[in-house]
Amino acid sequence: MEKNKIRLAGLIVVTALQIFFMIGCSNDEPKEKIAKTEKQNENAGHSAAIKLTDNELKEFGIEIKQAGAGVITNHIDLTGEIKAEPSRLSHIIPRFPGIVKEVYKTVGERVKQGEVLAVIESNESLTPYEVKSLVDGTIIELHMAKGDLVGGDQVAITVANLDKVWTILTIYQRDINKIKAGQRALVSLSAEEKGEEGIISYLSPVVDEKTRTASARVILNNSSGKWRPGMFVSAKIFVSEKKLSLVIEKSALQTLKDKTVVFIKRGNEFFPQQVNTGMVNDMNVEITSGLQPGQQYVSKGSFTLKAELLKESFGGEE
Amino acid sequence: MNRIIDFVLRNRLLIVVFAVIVMAAGYISYRQLPIDAFPDVSPVLVQVFTQTEGLAPEEIEKYVTFPVETAMNGLPNLKLIRSVSNFGLSVVNIYFEDGTDIYFARQLVNERLQEAREQIPEGFGNPAMGPISTGMGLILFYYLEDETGKYSLENLRTIQDWLVKYQLQTVPGVTEILGIGGWEKQYQVVVDPNSLLRYDITINDVVDKIKANNLNVGAQFLEKNAEEFTVRSTGLASDIKDINNIVIKSEDGVPVYLNQIANVKTGGAIRRGVQTSNGVGEVVAGMVVKLYGTNSSTVIREVEEKLSEINKSLPKGIKIVPYYQQKTLVEAAVKTVTDALLEGIVLVVIILMVFLGAIRPSIVVAIAIPFSVLFAMIGMKFFGISANLMSFGGLAIAIGMMVDGAVVIVENTDRLLRASRPGESKIHIIAKACKEVIKPITFAVMIIIIVFLPLFTLQGVEGKTFKPLAYTIALAMFGSLLFGVFVAPVLASFFMKKHSKKKSPHTGMTSARAEHAESGKEHSPNGQAEEEQIWILKLLIKIYRPVVTFFVKKRIAAIVLAVILLIIGAFIFPRLGSEFTPTLQEGTLILRMTMAPSISLTESTRLTLIAERRLMKVPEVTGVVTRIGRGEVGAHTDPVNNAEMYILLKPREQWRNHATQQELEGLIRKDFGEIPGVLTNFTQPIQMSVDELLEGVRAELAIKLFGDDLDILKNKADEIAAQIKKVNGSADVQVDQVSGAPQLSILIDRHAIARYGINVEDVQHAVRTAIGGETAGQIFEGVKRFDIYVRFDEEFRKDINSIGALLIKSPSGTEVPLSQLAEIKEVVGPRQITRESNQRFITIQCNVTGRDIGSFVAEGQKVIDGKIKLPPGYFVTWGGQFKLQQEANARLAVVVPITLFIIFIMLFSSFNSLKNSLLIFLNIPLALVGGIVGLWISGQNLSVPASVGFIALFGIALLNGIVLVTYLNQLRMEGLDVDEASIQGACLRVRPVLMTALAAALGMIPLLFATGIGSEVQRPLATVVIGGLVTSTTLTLLVVPALYKWFAIKVTEGEM
Repeated sequence: MEKNKIRLAGLIVVTALQIFFMIGCSNDEPKEKIAKTEKQNENAGHSAAIKLTDNELKEFGIEIKQAGAGVITNHIDLTGEIKAEPSRLSHIIPRFPGIVKEVYKTVGERVKQGEVLAVIESNESLTPYEVKSLVDGTIIELHMAKGDLVGGDQVAITVANLDKVWTILTIYQRDINKIKAGQRALVSLSAEEKGEEGIISYLSPVVDEKTRTASARVILNNSSGKWRPGMFVSAKIFVSEKKLSLVIEKSALQTLKDKTVVFIKRGNEFFPQQVNTGMVNDMNVEITSGLQPGQQYVSKGSFTLKAELLKESFGGEE
Repeated sequence: MNRIIDFVLRNRLLIVVFAVIVMAAGYISYRQLPIDAFPDVSPVLVQVFTQTEGLAPEEIEKYVTFPVETAMNGLPNLKLIRSVSNFGLSVVNIYFEDGTDIYFARQLVNERLQEAREQIPEGFGNPAMGPISTGMGLILFYYLEDETGKYSLENLRTIQDWLVKYQLQTVPGVTEILGIGGWEKQYQVVVDPNSLLRYDITINDVVDKIKANNLNVGAQFLEKNAEEFTVRSTGLASDIKDINNIVIKSEDGVPVYLNQIANVKTGGAIRRGVQTSNGVGEVVAGMVVKLYGTNSSTVIREVEEKLSEINKSLPKGIKIVPYYQQKTLVEAAVKTVTDALLEGIVLVVIILMVFLGAIRPSIVVAIAIPFSVLFAMIGMKFFGISANLMSFGGLAIAIGMMVDGAVVIVENTDRLLRASRPGESKIHIIAKACKEVIKPITFAVMIIIIVFLPLFTLQGVEGKTFKPLAYTIALAMFGSLLFGVFVAPVLASFFMKKHSKKKSPHTGMTSARAEHAESGKEHSPNGQAEEEQIWILKLLIKIYRPVVTFFVKKRIAAIVLAVILLIIGAFIFPRLGSEFTPTLQEGTLILRMTMAPSISLTESTRLTLIAERRLMKVPEVTGVVTRIGRGEVGAHTDPVNNAEMYILLKPREQWRNHATQQELEGLIRKDFGEIPGVLTNFTQPIQMSVDELLEGVRAELAIKLFGDDLDILKNKADEIAAQIKKVNGSADVQVDQVSGAPQLSILIDRHAIARYGINVEDVQHAVRTAIGGETAGQIFEGVKRFDIYVRFDEEFRKDINSIGALLIKSPSGTEVPLSQLAEIKEVVGPRQITRESNQRFITIQCNVTGRDIGSFVAEGQKVIDGKIKLPPGYFVTWGGQFKLQQEANARLAVVVPITLFIIFIMLFSSFNSLKNSLLIFLNIPLALVGGIVGLWISGQNLSVPASVGFIALFGIALLNGIVLVTYLNQLRMEGLDVDEASIQGACLRVRPVLMTALAAALGMIPLLFATGIGSEVQRPLATVVIGGLVTSTTLTLLVVPALYKWFAIKVTEGEM
């Protein structure tokens, strides 16, 4: 009898211990936490459609545009140098060596065709003869002064006609195939200014062995005298300009699971639509498939929509 | 023992001095104790940060993280090395075993860092240790308010970095000030690549030239006419003009100045973090980081003083506005517990007065509380425990128990004094009274202390949270023991009087008590004695006696009652929810936004401002200050897709429907709604930073897949996740999002560069400087210094095309566009690489529902082994909370029985009877029932604090049993028959039993009803103890006397 009681008491103590351990063992909190996150995700929606009200569109700066035809122009940036046109550059070498008796002009002076530039006394005949300019232009080099002995094959005076100048552009190998004679070029001195338009008139058929670059020529009108030979310029060459049936803003494109998508709008719902792209420039992109003209697409703020779709996946890491 | 009492009473003055010294020392210790809000649960951790501008995660891992990690291997006391390689930042967390001295750990790390530095390539960053602080170190956040509106963000940041920061750093206890937001001023050299081409210069020439034209030197001194002249050559550039005039090249004597090829201006440095406020715009902010181990409250106070000082010296119109202060939290937490403590003291004293019925003995007993508390303070100081919610909570819990020893002594003294003959010396009587009870008191207090032993074995966060509580309880109990043994007898001799003649002002009562005492002493079955008790006791005994008589006569009823209660307990128990530890409400809300991993800082700032505007519309919100990403390295390592919004609230009274913090979260969430592409969750400042430091997985199960190749890791992890999802009971299976960061990859074609004779390095150097930018020295403005940063004009590095057009100069002088030398493409790369123990890993998180984790793990392991083929070198480990739990359970499964066994042995050695000991142990299950029911009624969960409550409950319940059984034994030995002894003993002991139980319970009542900060942790504990005391006391008083017969000692067994 008494033994039984002791056993009973023992049993109670054992139960007590068990209860105690169970207390120590229980821990469900993390479960609740994750469950909570999960719930939020469900709200975010597993389906691909995203619903947004007009107010929300406005709040998040999401803009909608209609897909349609457009023009895509592409250009290539090149650098180059202004050069005087060789045919309008006359290098005057006095015919007979001799002593310079008179110099009438100085560097920078404009001269007319047939104007006398200097008088030289020939060593052979000891008679003075006149050196005349054969072109209209500006004296850009003058290597004679009174009393100088000139002669041989030394250029004494250079007269250049700078009404038209050449822009020689350096073309790197990668661009050679894209650039053709006849393309529009916008030549400028610096990135800020607008520049002057010209046409590529010539493309060198060979590539320089040392620099591995080809060159292109754009003839510029220089009646204002703005373009000075030796100037370093940059040029935009418009390599293509196409009218396309379906062009959208480039900012509409997003990458979703390695696929390029555009978000299209149907009512208040937005869906990612896989698209294939064609021509592209800084601003716009041609859509070759996946989108119909006239469809409403998200032109700005598409990242927000992409993020909403990805919400589920980036929630798990915290 | 007896000799101690004699000694004490002989040297009463000495003892009084001793007591005063202890209390004074306690008070001094208290003043010196660091005051925190909560115990700091941060691990012993040294963080090594390496900032590398512009490097992708793969490179960071290879060049920075790996060398740092390898250098740290094999450090003494090292627990774990975990690292994260993010864009531009490597963080290596070196965890040490708990208890390692932080300065020792830092010293070790620092020594090894030297090694690591040698391994890191030049220019790839310099690893540095994080602040000497912990997760609770962020004590104050502020932002700069510009009322004039004329200061740019750049100006404000300069003010923050060079005015505010340096002054605040001088405050003792502040280890670092971390700035964020605005723009760090920089001298930017914006290079035009076409100009480089024009003058045939490379960008690296520009960097070198700037470096070469910006320095001061000293050249010793000259002697002139007995004087010394210091020779100094100054060539430092001091402003934009100086930089502009640096000559980069000279051709035929014609210099090319820097301003011909670049635009020099001041601007903002590259940033990875932004601070915004109120949906209006960006602000500049700072964070004050407290030094490890310093007193939060002191540091905060001094920081505040300094702030007001700085405010005066700031330019007019700018002021510092703190938006988060731990002070409020510390104050609130300390207030919660000190209030509870004080209220508890009052309640306990009231109980004493009621039950002792006199003021003098009550005073003696009541002094036990301050004495024990102050004694505990000395101990806290000694053990380095800060004053915080938990340690003070321990004191609040122990209030009721602290008086136990003194109660028994005073009660006994009171009794003997009343029974004494007129001629007897008071000292003699007191000595006698004390000697009678000193042994059981010591014994009982020891048991309470021992009961708390299991708490000392708790590890990790729980250990750090609850150990302070266990310490203070143990210390306070030890203090109360000292009080009982040494001080109480002395105080009794001072305060208590002999009342043999009815001279006392409390005439009625004392006479009754005297008779009661007499009757008690004679142990006569004197029915009249109780009739004359003070009315409460009279009433009590009037009810109690018939009841206890009934149970003693009908023992089966007692058993039935006990069994029914146990069944109720067993029935309710599975219905209780459970949680680990209730979340401490810090009183500050943070809404954390997680945005898409690939998001740009500009876009995340835009979204954040939208979110802030929404929050500002919530009626309770007065302001929002948000940190996006990270500022100066040290506290946060968040990427730019994370935003933490500190929500400034109106005072609690103005909230809708008097909502609690949690309810308010709900309200805000409702008003706030959803933001497309943004995940939100609420958190709190300390919780957040501690979580970040622990960096543990929050789910129950974490399957870590280790291996080398990131793609294989990702694929296999996805496979594992798919398989685990199929295992019965799995829930919330998630794979870490490790990829998804878009990269522009420049893959150099070795054949192409060979054709031009270009080295890889030439290309990369140009890429780095032109696209990423490079620092080329500094500009000094007084002590302020700003970087000179050389970079291409944005126009020439804005997209794939312009980067492709970057010209690389070959040794022959030819310029080649980058796209001709390398393949440039957009790819998706890893967003971060996590490593643990020197290996890459990826985590699959999962919870388990509806089955036990052990079997789930077994099945999961089998599935992985069977279905997933891992390449060689890849392996899986299972971890997560379940592992911690298993460890904790295993430990408790050993420690708790051992503790109980020790107690049992103590009981046995004291009672010399197995049966008695068992009878006392019977209290434990009965107490458990009350605790469980208490939790159930109040709708709380089983949690760690509740478990702590159960432990405390054991102690008190055992104490009750001891008091009663000792007395019953005594009566038996005096020859009473068992039934009579049971009834009589129970009736006479109802007072001390009720008194200790009520004191313990009432001492905790304030904790039960407290609503302040931190109360949610104390509440389950108090609930369990109070609930348990109700059942255990009832049952002690009813069941124990009834069952006593079966467990009674034989009278012949001998003396107690």
